[in-house]
Amino acid sequence: MAQVLQALATGLLTGTVYALLGAGFSLIWGVAHVINIVHPALAVGAAYAVYLLAAHGVDPLASLAVVVPLFFLVGVGFHEGVIRPAVRRGGDLVLVSMVLTFGLAAALENVLAAVWGPGPRVVNVAYTGRAVQLRGLVLPITHLAGAGLAAVTIAALYLFLHKTFPGKAVRAVWQNPEGAALCAINLRQVTSLTYGLAIASAGVAGVALALIYSFSPASHLMWLVFVFLVVIVGGVGSLLGAVVAGMLVGALTNLSTLVIPFAWAPFLLFASLGVLLLWRPTGLFRR
Amino acid sequence: MSRAVAAGLVVVLLLLPWVGTGEYPLALLYSTFMYAALAVAWNVIGGFAGYLSFGHATFFGLGGYTTGLFLVRTGLSPFLTAPLGAAVAAGFAALAGYPCLRLRGPYFAVVTMILGLAVRAVILNLPWTGAAEGLWMTLPPWEPLVARRAFYYAMLAVALVTALAGRAVRLGKMGVGLEAIREDEEAAQSIGVPVVRLKMSALILSAGLTGLVGGIYAYDRSYIHPDFMFDLHLSVLAVLMALLGGRQSWAGPILGAVVVRLVDELLTVRVGTEAARIIFGLGLALVIVLLPDGLLPHLERLRRRAPRPPAAVPAAEARL
Amino acid sequence: MLRVGGVSKRFGGLVVLRSVSFQVDEGAIVGLIGPNGSGKTTMFNVITGFHPPDAGDVVFMRRRLVGLPPFQIARAGIARTFQVVRPFVGLTTTDNVAAAVLYGRGVRHVREARAEARHWLQYVGLAGAVDAPVSVLTLGGKKRLELARALATGPRLLLLDEVFAGLNPAESEGAVALVRRIRDELGITVLLVEHVIRIVMGLCEHVVVLGSGQVIAQGSPAAIQADPQVRHIYLGEGFDAAG
Repeated sequence: MAQVLQALATGLLTGTVYALLGAGFSLIWGVAHVINIVHPALAVGAAYAVYLLAAHGVDPLASLAVVVPLFFLVGVGFHEGVIRPAVRRGGDLVLVSMVLTFGLAAALENVLAAVWGPGPRVVNVAYTGRAVQLRGLVLPITHLAGAGLAAVTIAALYLFLHKTFPGKAVRAVWQNPEGAALCAINLRQVTSLTYGLAIASAGVAGVALALIYSFSPASHLMWLVFVFLVVIVGGVGSLLGAVVAGMLVGALTNLSTLVIPFAWAPFLLFASLGVLLLWRPTGLFRR
Repeated sequence: MSRAVAAGLVVVLLLLPWVGTGEYPLALLYSTFMYAALAVAWNVIGGFAGYLSFGHATFFGLGGYTTGLFLVRTGLSPFLTAPLGAAVAAGFAALAGYPCLRLRGPYFAVVTMILGLAVRAVILNLPWTGAAEGLWMTLPPWEPLVARRAFYYAMLAVALVTALAGRAVRLGKMGVGLEAIREDEEAAQSIGVPVVRLKMSALILSAGLTGLVGGIYAYDRSYIHPDFMFDLHLSVLAVLMALLGGRQSWAGPILGAVVVRLVDELLTVRVGTEAARIIFGLGLALVIVLLPDGLLPHLERLRRRAPRPPAAVPAAEARL
Repeated sequence: MLRVGGVSKRFGGLVVLRSVSFQVDEGAIVGLIGPNGSGKTTMFNVITGFHPPDAGDVVFMRRRLVGLPPFQIARAGIARTFQVVRPFVGLTTTDNVAAAVLYGRGVRHVREARAEARHWLQYVGLAGAVDAPVSVLTLGGKKRLELARALATGPRLLLLDEVFAGLNPAESEGAVALVRRIRDELGITVLLVEHVIRIVMGLCEHVVVLGSGQVIAQGSPAAIQADPQVRHIYLGEGFDAAG
């Protein structure tokens, strides 16, 4: 029983980070109809940025001051400089954006591999290895910090989207682009803003994941699987769905390691995503 | 390409090993044949039917593991069992294809990618496949140059079979049906196209040919491991080559394969694997944006020296 | 030749067709009219197998169609056009039609199919657009292309979903003449959904009126125009029954 609770607790903590990574991916998918395969790869990039800064004594949480604005700009630039020109040339948006971002993800992965090598890296900070004891549960501080960071970011995203005017404009475009354009909402600006926010959130998720896990250039593929799981379970374009789905996915993957051999865990993950895609591609909670 | 040129090229390729050609050029051509076969095979479902697969490494790996296991267990040469590898890959496509092909666009692309990862995860856990240690095969009982020639001919045969199959599909009735499916499945149904059966056939054919390639390749490596037999990079390469060459024609992917193989050779030798893969990633991104129809249509236009197709057609339709 | 008997169809909680029955006689041009949302297009989708009905029967030339996939219904001799045109944009005009010759009629050779396709393009008045990309066609041209594609499957019954919508008066006059020719020369029975009442009354020999998913009247155009219920629906919604 204690084992189950322990697995559940750490699963929920990591699940919060998956939720954040999935939320940004879902935001771009929902608003811009682009499947941004490079999203998790950018998070891996953020993890390496943390790694680099940590080597110079900068705390991962402090590195956010660099990562968040930088990634926001990357997101805006990505939209203005890459996606928009590509889309304007016409063609099938899904095909073009998937192949395009797939290519960029492969390139980014190998840039990271060229600089740091293909092996896994770990960010070591003062509180690595320490944990909080709570009624027999061992909660590593890194997990708590990562999950807390993700939770705060999700809450901020939620408030932004629901309480501020630009945020409401993003949601309006999400639900009805033509209607939003008729209301004099500048589609281009709103979409750029969406990319900025989503990529910035990928940066934060990368920082959080760097605290919790080891990572390698190829990690983004595994994270992509998690991101798809979160979006398919929670439904494209639902922030709350992403939160629920992230926690669920985190908890279930962790709990599954108690009952099935560790080596089969990835297979279970892939199989469940495959089954979900085939059974309910538009999301578990829709209708 | 006119028939005479193609026939001449095949004759040259058939004679090449006997004019003092060394191991290196034979190996280079061997891998070019392999890439061409992979690209043409991918194009049958990915290009003609428009079902973008990011998981063709699955079929490649299944073909390779089939011949590998046959060799280890029964001693049968992969040159004989390669068709069995094709059959296993095709059979797997037949099983997995039915549910997968109900998905469109990004969902199909993702589910095929996941399929590859899932099969890889299974192989890594099955002791009788060698699991994470990989599978060691007995080497072919020939001198190096003789072996190179044998593999050269085997892969040339596979590439020719694949190219002829791709050509037959593209120029025949099935090609028109697959194009109709790519454009609009409901409209295709409304004129009598058996959509499900046709796209299943395309996937099974594509998977089978890919499995055939994997079966020969495994023997050449003589050691196989899930990491490179089910490598996502391979799936991506197939997409890249077909898109680069032009996915509307049967020959486009061959052109793409030749270009990619040569660039790959230069980059890998001169600057290293990672740089090559960075450039391929960026190349994929650039190709889809700048050359969505691939190289071949541009080349053909150059050859005919014709300006684009007429922009407007005299107004018979103006009466309506 | 076509008998629709007691067909009902619902989407979720919304009942779109409620026990609809009517008949199309061989060689006739039959109009299916009704206000927006009355279920006309859904009826087409039921007949052609795209939306299997929840209840009821569709019998075509003594063959039950319910449960058959759309491609088999097409091969059984029912061709259709779509309300919003759906040509195969990436194919040439000729290949659009050749696909129908190949799969609708079971022709095996592409060359043969293309030759026949060109014949059908000429038949619908697209002789000048043979082998052209679809993008050169106007809306009217695309509608003719869809018509050629439907004819090329060798149908006994042709379902036309608002072929006249969006055409200017001269164009739609040409289209009316074409539909008449298709019936007179090729002997193909026509069932058409239409909004422009004037065209329906001039072209059809029999008219079926749908309202909220039910048949509210059917008969000759004259009888329909005199029907108080039909007049109420159309005049009540601001339509001018006289056109």
